[in-house]
Amino acid sequence: MASVEWIKTFFFAKTAPLITPSHFREFPHVTDKECTHCFQCMMICPAPGAIEVIRTEKPGEWKPVIHLGHCIRCGLCVEICPELVLDSGRVHTKNAQDGTYMQFQFHITVNPVICMGCGICSVACPVNKEIDPQLAAKGTSTSDEVIMRVYKGINTVFHEEKCTGCKTCEEQCPNRSVMVARVLEPLQITEEP
Amino acid sequence: MKKTVDVAIPLGPVHPIFKEPCRIKCETFGEQILAAEVELGYMKKGIERIMVGRPWQEVMFLAERICGICSVIHNFVFIETMEKISGVSVPDRAAYLRVLANELDRMQSHLIANFSYCYTIEHETLGMYLLNIRETVMDMLEYLTGARVTCAYIVPGGVRFDPDEEDLSRIMKAMDKVEEEMLRYIRMFEHGPLIGLRSKGIGIMTAEQAELVHAVGPTLRASGIPSDCRSEHPTYQMLGFTPIVRTECDNFARIMIRFDEILQSIDIIRTIIKTLPEGKIRGGGTIGRGQTTHRGEAPRGELTYRIKSDTHGRIQEIAIQTPSIMNIEACARYMIPGGTSVADVTSAYISSDPCIACTER
Amino acid sequence: MTLLQSFKNAVRQRSIHVCYVDTGSCNGCDIEVLACLSPRYDLEQYGIYVHNNPREADVLLVIGGVTPQWEDKLKMVWDKMPEPKVAVAIGNCPISGCVYNRPDSLTRPPAKSYIPIAAEVPGCPPRPTEIIQAILSVAPLIFKDWEIRR
Repeated sequence: MASVEWIKTFFFAKTAPLITPSHFREFPHVTDKECTHCFQCMMICPAPGAIEVIRTEKPGEWKPVIHLGHCIRCGLCVEICPELVLDSGRVHTKNAQDGTYMQFQFHITVNPVICMGCGICSVACPVNKEIDPQLAAKGTSTSDEVIMRVYKGINTVFHEEKCTGCKTCEEQCPNRSVMVARVLEPLQITEEP
Repeated sequence: MKKTVDVAIPLGPVHPIFKEPCRIKCETFGEQILAAEVELGYMKKGIERIMVGRPWQEVMFLAERICGICSVIHNFVFIETMEKISGVSVPDRAAYLRVLANELDRMQSHLIANFSYCYTIEHETLGMYLLNIRETVMDMLEYLTGARVTCAYIVPGGVRFDPDEEDLSRIMKAMDKVEEEMLRYIRMFEHGPLIGLRSKGIGIMTAEQAELVHAVGPTLRASGIPSDCRSEHPTYQMLGFTPIVRTECDNFARIMIRFDEILQSIDIIRTIIKTLPEGKIRGGGTIGRGQTTHRGEAPRGELTYRIKSDTHGRIQEIAIQTPSIMNIEACARYMIPGGTSVADVTSAYISSDPCIACTER
Repeated sequence: MTLLQSFKNAVRQRSIHVCYVDTGSCNGCDIEVLACLSPRYDLEQYGIYVHNNPREADVLLVIGGVTPQWEDKLKMVWDKMPEPKVAVAIGNCPISGCVYNRPDSLTRPPAKSYIPIAAEVPGCPPRPTEIIQAILSVAPLIFKDWEIRR
């Protein structure tokens, strides 16, 4: 009996398949925390088509989905998520230890020389539609609460801080006069003595 | 007198020795090589065109993927250029940690270059030893940054993760192991009779020739010219860095200089861990408008980024100069035809550590 | 017949010759394939030999989003391989184009549109263990009873 075992180990023994260490930044996996669909993970993602935040079958529930084959395992989405929905490797542990975080700012610039005031950008904007339902229904608005609208023939930005950086306006603009800048700032909490 | 050419031998683009597609055309006279020409263009991806109009958090990953072997230095130099444009200062601890990651990356790059050389001259034993010790270095890189190859460790104003005491002592222990093993392998390489026959006096490029073709990095330093961009870097100056030079000018010198630089990197890492200052790792700050040129020392030589950015830090123009193109040209012009036979073409080519991915981008 | 066939299957699973072709990657996946050779992962204990010669290969590892130069050459390399053969895409680039898949890029992914790809290993770059697992899991399926199925 022992000799059979010996023959088996002699011919078929291999080095054990190596396990992935826990400090490796794997593909982000979704934890059971609630996603508030702020879309910051989609805005920060450097790879095209790697992450999507989509509605699940339950009403009112959203969830990020990682597409394998597109994700480059950079871990930026894990780092920026304010609700810690995603998790990967030691990113959360290290961020909690050091007090490091990242902050987004979005800036909209309209080039007045080539903007022809068609207003496609303000109608396409998903945040505008939520703020002023009239804009979604009729295509015109008089509200000053929207991010931007055509005012006196020129596209004017009213509330830059409401922008979520989705770049829908930039994609819809026929002559690329609207540009959205996603300015990311890596920061650390200053320790008060 | 008219040059008599027997056969023009093409090597590549798919060749058992070349990891990347590249074609060397050799004009031969018997066993002797009269002239060589390197044909590039199989890997052009247009990375600089993709980079235009994007903010740093997207360009950083594109810059990393210019070259997968020396990814940390591309990240390092790109972020330093952006910081120079907008005047972002880096805390001391972060500056030291950047150098730590960079030196670990340099070690694994040199190890894989020397592995390729040993594999090319059919000394597979030493090659496998080097590849095995490289895994230890890769583990430490993974432990520090969270990924093996494309680390994404350096961000404007600092670094992403801060190693604690346990992490640092683990790196220190690994360095002891690597040094002990490396000294053994260097002894093997230096005194091996077969390696001496295949490397000493082959692929000679003198100092004048090296200056003529603008060779950079270990290829230049093996020809006796002490030129290293690290000696201009403020953090390396604090660590007391001096470039290593050898004067043999042949394949042997080019490989030995990489071995010596691995030992030097181990010393630098030890100094960093001993003198690592306490404090923050991210200073904060956003990227603004400006235009500048910045250079750093990649494992293969001098790496230059020229960037023009707009008000919100998006790239408007970018030009990258990578080291390998000069080394490949030097290789084709001087190393291969310098009295070497057909059998030594690939070893002379690999000894200059060519990287086609970052040459063509 | 069946005994001979099962013997052949068993032998063939333990002798896989691999060729890798770099169609415009960043070198990251290349060195991870190379790291598989190292004594820690030791590709050769499973009977996998990296030859880098398409004429004696069973498995072709495609690395990189396909650049214009490789559009016809990738098919040529594939045609040179003897039957039975299988192609495995390593990394994100041959699957989707990774970060290079942008409007101004010169690469033309995916590699699927040039040659039949049997398996894909996602990751940028994938770990050596993932690469070895992919080759080991795909090769027996393709080579099993190939003479009968042909």
